[in-house]
Amino acid sequence: MLLLHIGAFQLAVASQKTTLWHALLPRTRLLCAIALVFAIALTPNGRWVTWAVYGAIIGGVILLSRVPWRTLLTRVAVETLFVGAVLLGTLFRDGGEVVWSWGILRVTTEGITVLGSVGIKMLLSLLVLNVLTLTTSIADLLQALVVLRTPPIVLAILTSMLRYLQVSVREFQTMQRAAASRNLTANPRTARLVLGNAIGSLFIRTYTRGERISQAMLSRGYTGIPPAEKASRLQRRDFVAIASTVAIVIIGQGIR
Amino acid sequence: MTCLSFLISPQLALHIPDGFLNLPTSLIAWMATIALISLALKRVQADYQERAVPLMGVCAAFIFAAQMINFPIPGGTSGHLLGGTLAGVLLGPWAGTLVMSIVFVVQAVFFQDGGLTVLGANIFNMGAIGTFGGYYLYKAIRFAIGRQSWRGMAVGVAVASWCSVVFAAIAAALQIAASGTIPLGVVLGAMVSWHVLIGIGETLITLIAVNFIWKVRPDLLFDAPRKPSRRIANG
Repeated sequence: MLLLHIGAFQLAVASQKTTLWHALLPRTRLLCAIALVFAIALTPNGRWVTWAVYGAIIGGVILLSRVPWRTLLTRVAVETLFVGAVLLGTLFRDGGEVVWSWGILRVTTEGITVLGSVGIKMLLSLLVLNVLTLTTSIADLLQALVVLRTPPIVLAILTSMLRYLQVSVREFQTMQRAAASRNLTANPRTARLVLGNAIGSLFIRTYTRGERISQAMLSRGYTGIPPAEKASRLQRRDFVAIASTVAIVIIGQGIR
Repeated sequence: MTCLSFLISPQLALHIPDGFLNLPTSLIAWMATIALISLALKRVQADYQERAVPLMGVCAAFIFAAQMINFPIPGGTSGHLLGGTLAGVLLGPWAGTLVMSIVFVVQAVFFQDGGLTVLGANIFNMGAIGTFGGYYLYKAIRFAIGRQSWRGMAVGVAVASWCSVVFAAIAAALQIAASGTIPLGVVLGAMVSWHVLIGIGETLITLIAVNFIWKVRPDLLFDAPRKPSRRIANG
């Protein structure tokens, strides 16, 4: 959501490169990323070695995929800045708690362990997901979702949402600009009223647009069943990538 | 600058990131969410038939865009809409839940807003509690006061939208505490005290938006005021 300001359809800025990572099918990339994220995020707190292993692998993938470091780090920084504020907020609150129960020092060290663990999990997951979305276009990702047994109707709704996202956002920005240029957003009270009305009005436009679209689709012969995408077959390197990801996940969980 | 103020707006605290929930909590939330979504999917396909895909798609885009709007909250800070109750009031519980789930999926997968492993929990908190619970709370209050009156509508929408934010925050706090990440008292205090305030903003904006539709196109509301027979018959 934060990155929409950069433009929804420039999310995958590094999708045109020719590396081994890019040679993998989008499905394979998605599966590997999901396996890694679940392994990272669901590892119990305090397993530093496991995350070190995963972190090394992620570093390797970042190097291999030649994702621009600047872009990657900017995105992760933007995304962690907010979550970091939440984490720091809880730490601050914890600080208040410590004074209250000063006698037990173990609580504080455990608090730091939890804080560090959660922080690392979050950071590594964000790195993985950002590499995935930077290197894989939205269309490819949608197609890849088929492999996760996403029902075709959900995929069709997702596709249609992403297609009209830009339209909705632009329409909203136009309304906001119009209100601001008429000096209607200076006073918080009127600003709320104007923006609330804009949301109401956008819903009416949205709903009528939806009906127009569905009529257009029906007139082109749409029957309510979205056409199935033909999936390309997995190559040997895809199998190798999936197998090695699974192996890494298991090894990481085994190491103490 | 708008990006930055958007960034630190506390509303996003409801999107739990990866790493905050442990395996059992995420798993239970995933199961509940998948059950709810598949049920919603069936209902929506039955209700909307071949119109389901384009209508749900544009409505999800609408909610996404509406969530990006920053507006001033009384008291000085700014916030943005969560839209759960708004979706429920406009589209009904099933379509509303489906649309909100789609929005959270897109936010998590494409924009890294909210974690992937905790997506089930996020959808449950904001989609199920916010939209489903919010809708039935609103409906009960509105129909108790009077279906045709704006007063009933206003009270129902106001109470439901405030409750949906606060209860979603409580649910998120309970999940984080159940995972052992933050002690219950701390996380509950932090989340609830913030969202009691944020809920006021949510209430005001939802109320204004619904009022606009009530005046301009009341027939678009899921429980339209002037044609009671059809909707009541459909239940």
